[in-house]
Amino acid sequence: MIRFGMTANSVASGVNRRDFLNLVGLGGTASVLAGCGNTSIESGVELVQSYVQPETFVVPGVGVYYASTCTQCGSACGIMGKVREGRILKLEGNPQSAISGGKICGLGQAGIQGHYSPDRLKTPMLKENGVLKATTWEKAMSLLSGTVSFTAQGPRRVVLTGPTSGHLQILLKAMPQSGAATDHVVYDSLSTAVAASVNLKMFGVEQTVGLIDKAGLVLSFGNDFLGAGDSPVAAARQYARFRKAERRGILIQIEPKMTLTGANADRWVVIAPGTEGVLALGLVRELLQRKEFANNLSPNLIAAVEPYNQTEVSHITGVRGDLIPRIAATLWEHSPSLVLAGRYPQGHAHGSHNMAAIALLNVVLQNQGKTLWREAELPFPQMAPALGNFKSLRQLNTQMAAGDVGSMLIYGTNPVYSTPDFMRFADNLQKVPFKAAWVTELDETAMHCDLVLPLMSPLEDFGTHVAAAQSDGMEISIQQPLMEKLHPEARSFGDSLLELLKQAKPESYKSFPDYYAYLKSAVVNAKPAFDPKVEDEEFWENTLSAGVLRRPAALLPLPAIEFSADLVRQPLRESRDAAYPFVLIPAVRPSMRDGKAANLSWLQESPDPLTTVVWDSWAEIHPSTAKQLQVNEGDVLVIKSAQGSIRAKAYLIPGIHPGSVAVPIGQGHESYGRYATNVGVNPFKILDPIFDEETGELALYATRVAIMKTDQNERFTKDEGATNLQQGRKLVATLAADQVDLAKETPFVIR
Amino acid sequence: MKTFSRIVLCLAATLAGVSAAPVVSADAFVQGGPIGSQTSDGYNALGPVVTQPIEFPHNRHAGTRANGGMEIDCLYCHTYARRSAVSGIPRLSKCIGCHNMIESVKEKPRIKTLLAYWDRREAIPWKKVHDLPDFVRFNHERHIQRFIFDQGRPSREACGYCHGDVASMTTARRVKAISMGWCVSCHEKEHRIDAVSFKTGHGPNDCWQCHH
Ligand code: SF4
Repeated sequence: MIRFGMTANSVASGVNRRDFLNLVGLGGTASVLAGCGNTSIESGVELVQSYVQPETFVVPGVGVYYASTCTQCGSACGIMGKVREGRILKLEGNPQSAISGGKICGLGQAGIQGHYSPDRLKTPMLKENGVLKATTWEKAMSLLSGTVSFTAQGPRRVVLTGPTSGHLQILLKAMPQSGAATDHVVYDSLSTAVAASVNLKMFGVEQTVGLIDKAGLVLSFGNDFLGAGDSPVAAARQYARFRKAERRGILIQIEPKMTLTGANADRWVVIAPGTEGVLALGLVRELLQRKEFANNLSPNLIAAVEPYNQTEVSHITGVRGDLIPRIAATLWEHSPSLVLAGRYPQGHAHGSHNMAAIALLNVVLQNQGKTLWREAELPFPQMAPALGNFKSLRQLNTQMAAGDVGSMLIYGTNPVYSTPDFMRFADNLQKVPFKAAWVTELDETAMHCDLVLPLMSPLEDFGTHVAAAQSDGMEISIQQPLMEKLHPEARSFGDSLLELLKQAKPESYKSFPDYYAYLKSAVVNAKPAFDPKVEDEEFWENTLSAGVLRRPAALLPLPAIEFSADLVRQPLRESRDAAYPFVLIPAVRPSMRDGKAANLSWLQESPDPLTTVVWDSWAEIHPSTAKQLQVNEGDVLVIKSAQGSIRAKAYLIPGIHPGSVAVPIGQGHESYGRYATNVGVNPFKILDPIFDEETGELALYATRVAIMKTDQNERFTKDEGATNLQQGRKLVATLAADQVDLAKETPFVIR
Repeated sequence: MKTFSRIVLCLAATLAGVSAAPVVSADAFVQGGPIGSQTSDGYNALGPVVTQPIEFPHNRHAGTRANGGMEIDCLYCHTYARRSAVSGIPRLSKCIGCHNMIESVKEKPRIKTLLAYWDRREAIPWKKVHDLPDFVRFNHERHIQRFIFDQGRPSREACGYCHGDVASMTTARRVKAISMGWCVSCHEKEHRIDAVSFKTGHGPNDCWQCHH
């Protein structure tokens, strides 16, 4: 049974959300901290859940659901937290959120573990003689407000964060007023800045909206929209509609290493890493054979795709030549189509050109206005998400190295873990005279800081979030505490920012005793855009109860933009370095993303969807490559780039290009709580300094490596049985794909 | 007297729908011997004395009138028991609802302690007396439904099947073994399914009913 918290009754009774948390506080905290695990009946050991004056709907033993927002990734799914006896027990999706649609993913479910983690930082820590020692918030705040004095040591005083949005983003923008920072740098190690820049050039907006469920066919170049995409829960819902449509939607996935989305595709096509743009141009050339498509491109562009004939494209990409006209025909037959591009094509020196060539397919197929749109403007542009990129961090890193950065305040990002060794970020951080980090657990970056501050868990904090990928209108997702603070000294990052601003500008901020008051006032000020008729207090209570502020917004057509043929130019075939014959694919796992979730044991324990491996890293190689290298499953391999090497056990999988080796991102932490530390390896570290020529973003999939076999072999901990599925016997009759007439075997036709 | 009738009125309102059978079966209250010991039926066992923040006199509230009690029904205070898996402890405001009105005892030490908790708006840290292992889930609501609402047994008796005659105690003390065998022995018995029919049924014996 789902009960929604904060009904109108609760307002009438005069007990607000905060009072409620206080009222349940004693029993709640006591029972949380009390040990559990008695195995026979006990008397007089634990406390009973005891209330002073609870809301009438609070019944011990019966859960009450409160709305909030998942912050495990940037999708900002609306969630409902089941609270019982003052403890948050389980997270579900909030049906009122159009992004989550009442569902959440595994990564979201595991959010509760970060909150209860035994390795939460409990007090502020100050580094003395190289060792972090407990200190007080008073001391910490006086150090933070003194950062202005570090100007002499370096003119730049930076707040470095992960992607942010909502009112936190507004406070961060205001930080220069506080004197504690001169600017705000947003870093995302898995940024999609290349896609944003290409979209801007070709469609006039950074973020386009692809409607999967309106397409008859989705051609995806490595876009893992069902796994580690921009908004996987919303995409999965669209995908279900796409598949259930009267004419079942068809998914063709083209990528160098199979993703979860690829595993769901009707046709999975392996491609040499970085050659996606070439295939896209080959497909454009095929489509141009039809008159109706030829009119959609300028003569320059038509000339630019001319060299990409079947033979040439097949030679470069490794995709079977006969597949190219077949895919082109299917695109045409199952119109309207939607062409998506994901992380793989972006992560190369020519990433922008790759992405532009793929986007050209959407232009030729005239998908704009059918399956490809743009969002209406957000009514509060100041709350728009700051998505972050790699380029700004690289610039900051150069300034740090030159001693130009006086102080750094770090929140929501762990660059010491997620930057490649060639940047020497940890060394450069030591050149910054004062650096402070707000964390829930001591991660690698916090370990390098002078001051580390205990952060409230997202389930204890207030906040507002705006997702970059919206679904069915515009949504401001509201985050509210689902439980009283577990650790009394933990504070909200918003409170720290507000306090710094208050000290510098008391007249502007003095009316806000805390971040809660600031948020409440800001949300209530937005009332005219949502529900102007109700009283302020009722609006606030209704907003907390619903967990979202929504505005229906019609999608807008994409403007027609002239772009030069140079945008889709593909590089000449690169010569291979014989010393490093393979391409390294640092694979993004739906559960681990950039490594932020590695401290959650549920996620460590949940099997990787494709390999079923748990609690480990591994190196995926193609069986033919394994044969050539005489490698068996479990053989420990050394994967060596020009920057360094990592060791991982070999996992043989047909879903990878034979010239590649994939090592998942997320593991290999040196510090981040007991579940993350000393598990697996971190492929970020050995990446080559290769950048997208247009945007300066790190080319994540362009590093070349050598694979060396050691004489060690270790067993995998994995859920699947023997990878030899037939177990030495012919259990199921099989036929190679090439021997099957797919036209007869599948519900759709690729001719 | 005015206060007493108010309490009775509250009780009448609370118990509407609970058909109280007049005779309380004494079998429910058979008590065990020293801690850990078992009686001849093999199950009853006396738990340790639990010191509570306030020495709550169950006998004064729920005991028989003949013994100086007010015969307040168990479910009046332990109101969650019929709505939830756990019986819970009454909210502090419930104690205060009555005790604010009873001038005659306001100066008694226990009531002064109670009022001090209320003044501080602090929940009373009552200790659990019947704390089952974490892998066992007992559902009060289903048992209350069966024995009180369906069979029409008095709360004092139905609650007493597991808790003993709490109405004769001051602070509660465990008097039953509450072991798995003890639970199962009751589940194996045939119980009448309601107050009027002679049809009987026994409790479920699937593992997952309690271990899930
Ligand atoms: S997609 Fe992201 S925001 Fe949504 S539930 Fe999963 S982790 Fe949370």
